[in-house]
Amino acid sequence: MEKIIGMVMPMLDGSGITLQIFFITLALSLPLGLLVALARISGIRPLRFAMEVYIWLMRGTPLMLQLLFVYFALPMVGILLPDLAAALLAFTLNYAAYFAEIFRSGIQSIERGQYEAAKTLGMTYIQTMRRIIIPQMLKRVLPPISNETINLVKDTSLIYILAMNDLLRVARTIVQREFDMTPFVIAGVFYLAMTFVLTWLFNTLEARYAKYDE
Amino acid sequence: MSDDVMIRMNQIYKKFNQLEVLKGIDLEVKRGEVLAIIGPSGSGKSTLLRCLNRLETIEKGTIEVEGEFLVQEKNSITTYTDAVTAKMILGKMGMVFQQFNLFPHMTVLENLIEAPILVKNMKSGDIIPVAEQLLAKVGLLDKRDVYPSRLSGGQKQRVAIARALTMKPDIMLFDEPTSALDPELTGEVLKTMRQLAEEHMTMIVVTHEMAFAREVANKVIFMADGEIVEQGNPQSLFANPQELRTKSFLQNML
Repeated sequence: MEKIIGMVMPMLDGSGITLQIFFITLALSLPLGLLVALARISGIRPLRFAMEVYIWLMRGTPLMLQLLFVYFALPMVGILLPDLAAALLAFTLNYAAYFAEIFRSGIQSIERGQYEAAKTLGMTYIQTMRRIIIPQMLKRVLPPISNETINLVKDTSLIYILAMNDLLRVARTIVQREFDMTPFVIAGVFYLAMTFVLTWLFNTLEARYAKYDE
Repeated sequence: MSDDVMIRMNQIYKKFNQLEVLKGIDLEVKRGEVLAIIGPSGSGKSTLLRCLNRLETIEKGTIEVEGEFLVQEKNSITTYTDAVTAKMILGKMGMVFQQFNLFPHMTVLENLIEAPILVKNMKSGDIIPVAEQLLAKVGLLDKRDVYPSRLSGGQKQRVAIARALTMKPDIMLFDEPTSALDPELTGEVLKTMRQLAEEHMTMIVVTHEMAFAREVANKVIFMADGEIVEQGNPQSLFANPQELRTKSFLQNML
């Protein structure tokens, strides 16, 4: 028992890093994703094209490669970021691209009549998006956003290659030191606990949005 | 132009890709007049209405609303007015859609007060009594706090009418307001529209409701293939149509 507690304590520290990356990435990539989505459907052609390229790059290459690039390649051109900032940059850029595509599909699923009603009532494009389209879109995209968010919890484990002591890396270190597989089991339980909380949170959000049907 | 002409459309041409949907429409609506536009599907009647409030843009022609040009020919180039003037002109017109287009994430009352607050910067304390009065007028005050999904089609359309009225338009446009409704629900919507007409609201109604056109409209236009085939007061047009196409259309409808 004592042995297990001895394992759990450093793993809790590791979870701290994991959660830190998770929350900051989420807080940055959700709004960024929304902006990218709006740019991606805007009438400004160069902007639209730039967003398409960005999304293509982010979805078309492994997140691992993007992490390595930010961490090892950027310093070569003089951009040297602290470990955490490097990880956050890569995660945020990657996840914003995925969120952007979810938001875009959500926005484009809103009926044209909603825009027309808003327009005939005198609302501007920005007012229409802010008050009419985006609130309805959020309800529709909750399930895929929930999916991506749970993916993010697990993807944070990729930072082990940046030598940051997140949950999985701590677990691996203990396993290698003690020749005992228990830390992997504990890590699994930790990840499950985090995703359980997220699932509950998103279910609550969906229930709240269920106050209106479409 | 005489003062009581509210809307004047001249030589309106509109194409969707290669398809000409409006081929030189001329139209005038006077203050307090109810104009009904009838005709088969694909005749361009909805498009005409949508051009008037710029949900569609025209290729050629002039549109004048209460003495202001939304679009006119300048040196034989069709030119839309600047954004500020356009907003002012479009603000004079309220629109009711076939598919209601209520905002599903807002309650009935929120649907009504959203635009006055956003667009006219009204305080909710000032607009809520107005909205409630309008809801009472369309007989739906008891529904003020429910979401649109809880309403029947007829109730939705009456809310949509009230919503358009909160912006105090001078002209109300109706695009087949009863076409998406079960027959037993059209009556309540038509009754609300009739009430508006009795209050001398200027109205343009694209409709398949011949009885409404006959009883409420001051003027009826029959359109087919992007042209006005025949127009006149409802009594003579319905009782004694001159054109063959009008005759056969009315025979099929009645």
